[in-house]
Amino acid sequence: MLRYEVKKVFSKTGGKIALLMLTAMLVLVCFLTVRSVEYVDEQGVSRSGITAARRLREDKNKWAGEITEDVLIEVLQKNREINASKEYQSADYRENDKAYARKQGFSDIRDMINHAFTAFREYDYYRVDSVTDEEVGRFYERRIAGLKDWLYSEEAKDIYSEEEKEFLLTKYQELKTPFYYEYADGWKAFSEYAPTLIMLTVLILGFPVSGIFANEFQLKADAIFFSAKFGRNKAVLSKIGAGILMITEIYWVMVLLYSAVVFAILGTSGAGCAIQTGLGGWKSFYHITYLQEYLLIILGGYLGSLFMLTLVMFLSAKTHSAVVSVTAPFVLLFIPSFLSGISVLSKVLGLLPDQLLQMGVAVKLFNLYQAGGKVTGALPIIMTLYPILFLAMLPVLYRGYRKTQIQ
Amino acid sequence: MKIELDNLTKNFGEFTAVDHISLVMNNGVYGLLGVNGAGKTTLMRMLCTLLRPTEGTIYCNGRDIWEMDSEYRSLLGYLPQEFGFYPEFSVQDYLLYIAALKGIRPVVAKKRVKELIAKVGLAKVTAHKMKKLSGGMKRRAGIAQAMLNDPQILILDEPTAGLDPNERIRFRNLISELSEERLVLLSTHIVSDVEYIANEIWMMQEGRIVHQGTAEKIIDAMPETVWECLVEKRMVSAFAKKYKISNMKTEHNGVILRIISREKPCEQAKKAYVTLEDVFLYYFGEKAGDENVAI
Repeated sequence: MLRYEVKKVFSKTGGKIALLMLTAMLVLVCFLTVRSVEYVDEQGVSRSGITAARRLREDKNKWAGEITEDVLIEVLQKNREINASKEYQSADYRENDKAYARKQGFSDIRDMINHAFTAFREYDYYRVDSVTDEEVGRFYERRIAGLKDWLYSEEAKDIYSEEEKEFLLTKYQELKTPFYYEYADGWKAFSEYAPTLIMLTVLILGFPVSGIFANEFQLKADAIFFSAKFGRNKAVLSKIGAGILMITEIYWVMVLLYSAVVFAILGTSGAGCAIQTGLGGWKSFYHITYLQEYLLIILGGYLGSLFMLTLVMFLSAKTHSAVVSVTAPFVLLFIPSFLSGISVLSKVLGLLPDQLLQMGVAVKLFNLYQAGGKVTGALPIIMTLYPILFLAMLPVLYRGYRKTQIQ
Repeated sequence: MKIELDNLTKNFGEFTAVDHISLVMNNGVYGLLGVNGAGKTTLMRMLCTLLRPTEGTIYCNGRDIWEMDSEYRSLLGYLPQEFGFYPEFSVQDYLLYIAALKGIRPVVAKKRVKELIAKVGLAKVTAHKMKKLSGGMKRRAGIAQAMLNDPQILILDEPTAGLDPNERIRFRNLISELSEERLVLLSTHIVSDVEYIANEIWMMQEGRIVHQGTAEKIIDAMPETVWECLVEKRMVSAFAKKYKISNMKTEHNGVILRIISREKPCEQAKKAYVTLEDVFLYYFGEKAGDENVAI
C-alpha cells in the first residue's frame, strides 16, 4: 500500500515537476555555495572552484593552530607590513587586490580582531589597522567586555532581564580560549546556503505532500477508498507512512548530496573549530564546533521539515484541499520575515518552526527564554517542542482522516 | 447474508435525505428505483459506512455494521455513482492497489486481478492508463474493483449511467452473472436496468421506500390501467393536460399515446400491457427521469 501511495504522488505531472524542481534547485544552490568561496591570486584575480578552494585552504592553514597573543601580534605585524606595500597604497583597485591576496591567509583572524576591538553592535573593517601589539593581548577579554558594555547600554538594558544578562556573560566567559583556528570555509559556506536549500525543499515538497490525503477527494476516489476493508485503518497509516517516507528520503537525499558536493569541493578542514572563529559566529553564545553546527543544521532542518510537511498533510486531510494545505509552509516561512521588525514579537518569532530550517542563523541570535530562574536559548526549546508537536499531530491526523464521512 | 435497516434516517441540516427506513435484505438482487434526489445514494453510502446515520442503524447478520468496522467492509464491494480512480495508474496497478486496500495478499491479488480483468473484458487494455479508457471500460474496471474481494454484499450506485445502449446491456448481463450467491443492491433511475435483473424492487421517494416487491407485484399493485390509442396531433396537448402519458410515438396518421388512467381515455383506446416504466411514471410523475431535481 505504501508503494502505491508514493506512486500515486509521483505518477502525477505535479509530482514529476516537483522532483525536477528539486533537482534544478539542488544544482543551483551547489553552484552558488561553491562560487561563494573565492580565492584572490597573486595577480589580484578572484577565482572560485576546486583549485581556488584548495589554494585558499593552503593559505589559511598556514595560520592553523591556537590563536594566542603571539599569533595575534604576528597578524598585526603582517597586516602592517602589507599595508605599507606599494600595492596596498596604490589608488588602483587591481593593485589593492594584489595586496589583499597576501592578507587572505589571515583574513579570518583579522575579522575577529576587528570584531573584538569594535563596539558590540558595530563592525569596522579597518579597526585592525589601529590595534596595537600591546592591546591585542586583551583580544578574548574584549569579546566579553564588548557584550557587557552593550547589555548595559541604553539600547539593550531593558531587552534582557538580569538573569538573561548573567546567562549571556557566563556563556561568553565559559567559552574555551584560546580558539583553535583552521580553514573552515566549506563549513561556513554550507551554513550560509543550507537554509536556502532546506527552505526551498520544504516549499517544493509541500506540493506533492499536500496531495497524499486530498487527492482521494479531488479524484472522487474517496468512496471506494473508505469503503474498503483497510480504508479506515491501515490505508490511512500507509498514507501517513508514505508522507513521512517521502519527506525523509527526499530531505536526506537533498541534504547529503548537497553536503557531498560542497565538502568535496570546499573541503572539510576546520570541523573541530569553534563557530566563534568565523565572522558570522563570533557573537554566538552556543559553544559548538563547525561540525556540531552542521549536525544541528541538518537535524534541525529535518525536524522542521517533518513538522511543517506533516502540518500540510494534516490540513489536507482536514480541508480535503491540496491548495489550502500547500500554503501552510509559505505562511510559516514568510510571515516571520514580515513581522521581524516588531521587537515585541522577537521572542515569539525565535520559537517559530522556520528557525529549525535555518539553524545556522538561529545559533547566532540572542533569543533567550526564562522560566523561573532558569534561562535558555531558543535552540533547546525548538528542538524539543516541534518533535513533540509532530508526534502529537500523527494520531490526530490518523483519527481525523479515518472518521471522514463522504456526503 | 442478512442486512437489516432499522429505522435508518439521515438528515443534512433541515433536509431529510433518508427518512426512517426499516427493511430486511437477504441474498438476491435488489433494485433501488427513484428519481434523482430520492435518497438512493445517501442510503447506499450509509450501507457502505461512508456516512453515519442521524438515527437508526444497520445490522449485518444481527451485528451493527459500525461496530464490525473493517470486518463488515471486508464483505463489501462498492461501485459508486461517481467512480473516481487514479488516472496515471494502469488498469492492473489500479486493481492491485484496490486489492491491497481490501486486504488481499499480493499473490492472491495478482491471480484475482487477472481473472477479473478477463471476466470484464479488459484483458487487452490491462497495461493502459486508467485515464485512457473509454467510459464503458472505466465502468467495467469499476465493477472489477468492486468484485476483487468476492464480496457477499455488492452495492452498485447507478452503474449504467452514461453508458451507450450496447455497453449498458453488456454491463447488465455482467451484474446478473456476478449476482449469484450474494446480496446485490443496485440503484438506478433507469427502469429497464432493474426490471430485467432485480428479484425485488424498492421504489424510493423523498427518503422513504414507497413501494417494494417483485416487478410483477409492483405492476399488479398499480391502481390504474395503461391504455394505448391513436390520436390526431392537435389533440395531444389536450390529452397531456388530462392524463399521465407514459409514451408518445408519432406515426404518419397521428400519434400513438400510452396513457395511464383509471377510465378509458377515448373510444378507440385499447388496454396495454403494463410495464415497470409505466408504474415508475405513475408514482413519480413529472419528476421521473428529471436529472436536475433537488437532492
